Order: sequence, then structure tokens, then C-alpha cells
Amino acid sequence: MRLRAGISAALASAAILLVGWQAGAQVTESNASAVTTSAAGNTAGTAGGTASGTGSTAKGTTGSSASGSSSGTGAGSSSSTGSSSSSTLGASAKAGGTYAGTAVETRFGTVQVQVTIKAGVITDVTALHLTDQEQRSVQISARAAPLLRSEVLSAQSANVQTIGGATFTSEAYLTSLQAALDAAHF
Amino acid sequence: MQPISKPNGPGQGSAEPRLRSRTFTSMGTVVSLAIPAAPGTAPQAAVEELEAATAVVEQLFNRLDRTFSLYRPDSEAIAMARGELTLMNASADMRRLYVEAAEWRTLTEGAFTAERPDGVVDLAGIVKAHAIREAGTSLLALGLKDWCLNAGGDVLVDGSPTPGGTRPWLAGIVDPEDRTTLLTAFPLVGHSFGNRGKHALATSGTGERGHHIWSAGLPAARDEGFRQVSVAAADIITADVLATAIMAGGARTLELATSHWDVDVLAVKNDGGLLATQGFRNLAPRNS
Repeated sequence: MRLRAGISAALASAAILLVGWQAGAQVTESNASAVTTSAAGNTAGTAGGTASGTGSTAKGTTGSSASGSSSGTGAGSSSSTGSSSSSTLGASAKAGGTYAGTAVETRFGTVQVQVTIKAGVITDVTALHLTDQEQRSVQISARAAPLLRSEVLSAQSANVQTIGGATFTSEAYLTSLQAALDAAHF
Repeated sequence: MQPISKPNGPGQGSAEPRLRSRTFTSMGTVVSLAIPAAPGTAPQAAVEELEAATAVVEQLFNRLDRTFSLYRPDSEAIAMARGELTLMNASADMRRLYVEAAEWRTLTEGAFTAERPDGVVDLAGIVKAHAIREAGTSLLALGLKDWCLNAGGDVLVDGSPTPGGTRPWLAGIVDPEDRTTLLTAFPLVGHSFGNRGKHALATSGTGERGHHIWSAGLPAARDEGFRQVSVAAADIITADVLATAIMAGGARTLELATSHWDVDVLAVKNDGGLLATQGFRNLAPRNS
């Protein structure tokens, strides 16, 4: 169980990283900070104590549930995390170069992130193993995005065989669409 | 009320096989089992098969309700709530389900929980889904190939509404703004369609009283709150637990759920806006 939680946490962080990466310019900065921690942990070993992101991306399944998840979301949404991890990295990677994180298995395939650093500044973040276009589209599609009512209120709404809804009590059932269906199918 | 089903009774020449359903009351809700009449089957035989299967499912639901209901003075759950029985001394059923609920609590980072704020173990959030799962196993054991089980708006299917066919079951989703209309419908497929198929659909919401969602106290939840969350998954426990968890945990849990599990989600926000994963987004073009 603990192992499963750890794996899940690792996957969550990897997925969040990926989502951030693919969401484009808007989140580039915050995403980069999450990547930075894993790259630093992997290459210099100095960021391990400070960055929870290390547990999820670089070490894979060893991350605990709490640190794994908070790294992804925390770093993704807070710029202060970004700056602190950047400074950690700045010391270890002043000369710059390209750093690769450890490959992580997700439900979208194997994912590995590569960061290019010049003069302590991240200049590029690349996903190394987004194996093909299809998996990329799966990843994008896994997100819940805004949808217009008119897009779902379609002809398909007619002719259903059953009705799902927020739990109907036995009283509410009597006036529910499911009751009408059941009566029609009696 | 919009038309929700074509009248396709006998004598109308409809190509669609007639669906029959039977209902019973259990766990404070109504459970309905629908099966299509296989071609060439005598109507009376089909009715008997359906009624026998419904009786099996009803017994199963009632047995679990007797153990887990907090509304029955003689249930094991109420004895635990009163402190007369500890989890260690509880039945294997109770312990197993409690462990499962506790695992989901970890997996959902606390958004789903099996304990009320007052500390009483309340497995109501998972018992119904557990009953649906067990019922599905029973129907399989009975040899039924095509069926649709709906317990209080949570749905599990196998096969197709067309016996031996490939057509998915179409499950409508009630619009929380107007419960007499449908927001959309989601295709649920039988188990013969491979592992990626969604066989189960669960919906959680604030629309009706008596719903068991204990907010995990996640601060972000209130602002980003949802009014109704539907989750389609390969199994009913995952669908039901995640729908409940997303209701409690808000956008953060929604993100967690869609990145960890192979699910499709349709969430109705408190302001009426919709959030949907691709499985729900694909529906519109397919229909027009």
C-alpha cells in the first residue's frame, strides 16, 4: 500500500510536470522551477534536502505521498518555491549544461525531463521520452478543461438507457427521469 | 420533460430490442436492473430471468445494508458508532471495506474519507459502490451477458443494450440546474471491449439531501467548488470514490484524479460552468 501510494505520488508529480510543460508559456516559469529541483538533485546532489521534487521525479517510487504531491502542485503554483530552487541550482550549475532527470513511468508512458541551463538560468525544458504524438494527446486530454453547455447538450441526450445523477434518495426517485425510464421498460 | 426514450414496445416494428427493468428499494435509494430481451426468447422466460436476477441483487444489497447502515438500530455499523464494537472485532466484511476506504483516503490525499468529522466510521461513501460491484459479480455468475444496473444514479453495465451487439449503453447525466433534463450522455461499454473501456459511471453532488460527503477541510475547495461531479471508470469503486473525492477536494483533487486514473470526468461548477475531460468532449461532434 505504501509502495502504491509512493508510486502514485511520483506519477502525480510527473503528470503535473508534463501538464505544465504542455500547457505552454503561461506556466513555463513555474514548471521550470519544478524541473529544476529534480535536475539539481540528480546532477549535484545538493538540492536533495531542500527540494521535495527530488523524491518524485529523480528517485521515482521512493517519494512519500505527501512530498510527492506537494512538490508538483507547490512548485507549480508558487513562484517563491521557484526562486529558492533556482538559487540552489545556481550554485551547483553555474557553468551551465544540459541535465536529465530520471525516467518515470506514468500511465502516459515513460517520461523524462531535460533542462538546459546557461549561467545558472534555465533556458530550455524538454521532455525526452514523450514517446509519440498519440501519448502526448492522451496526456493533454486527461485534463478537465472548460466546456460549453451547448457542446454537451446534444442529440445524444435523447434515447438513453439509464440515468446517472447525484444520488437519488428513494423519495427523489419517484420524480426522477430514471423512474420514467424504469416505467417505460417495465 | 424531454423525451428520453423512444417507445419501442412490441408491435411497433422497432429494430431495437425491448429493454425490461425491475426495481427495488435498498440503502435509502432505488436500485434498477435492466436487461434486453434476447431475440427469439419467449417474453415470459425473459421476464423470469430478469426477476430472478433482480432478486439475487436485492438480497445482496439488503445483506450489506444490514451490516453497514447507520440508520438501522441493529447494524454492525451502528454498534461501532456507539463504541460497542471496535474495528478489530468487526466482521471481515467491515474490516475489508474499511481498509479499502482507508487506502482510497491515502490515494486521494485525504479528499475521500471513511470517517465523519466526529470520528465515527462511516463507510456510506463506499458501501453502495461495493454493493454494485458485488452485484455485478453475481450477475456474471448467473450467466447474464447484457445488463445495466443503476443504484441511486450510479451505474454499472456489461454487454450491450443490443444482445450480442457492440452498441454501448448510453447513460444520461442529470443536469443539476434542472433535474428534469439531461446534461449529456456517456457511453458505457461491456467487458468484452477491452481494458480501456469504461463500464461504470458514478455521480456525486449537492443536489439532494442525505448525501455523504465530509469535506476534508481542504481550504481551496470552497472557492473552486463543484455542484455535481460525474466520473466514468473501468470499475464502480474508482468511479464512485473519485466522484466523491472531487466533490470534497475541488479542483485540486480533480487534477489529481485525471492524472492518476484512467477516468473521464464531467464536473459542474457552482457557477454553472462545466469542466470535462476528452471522453465527454468527444460526444458533441459525434452527435451532430
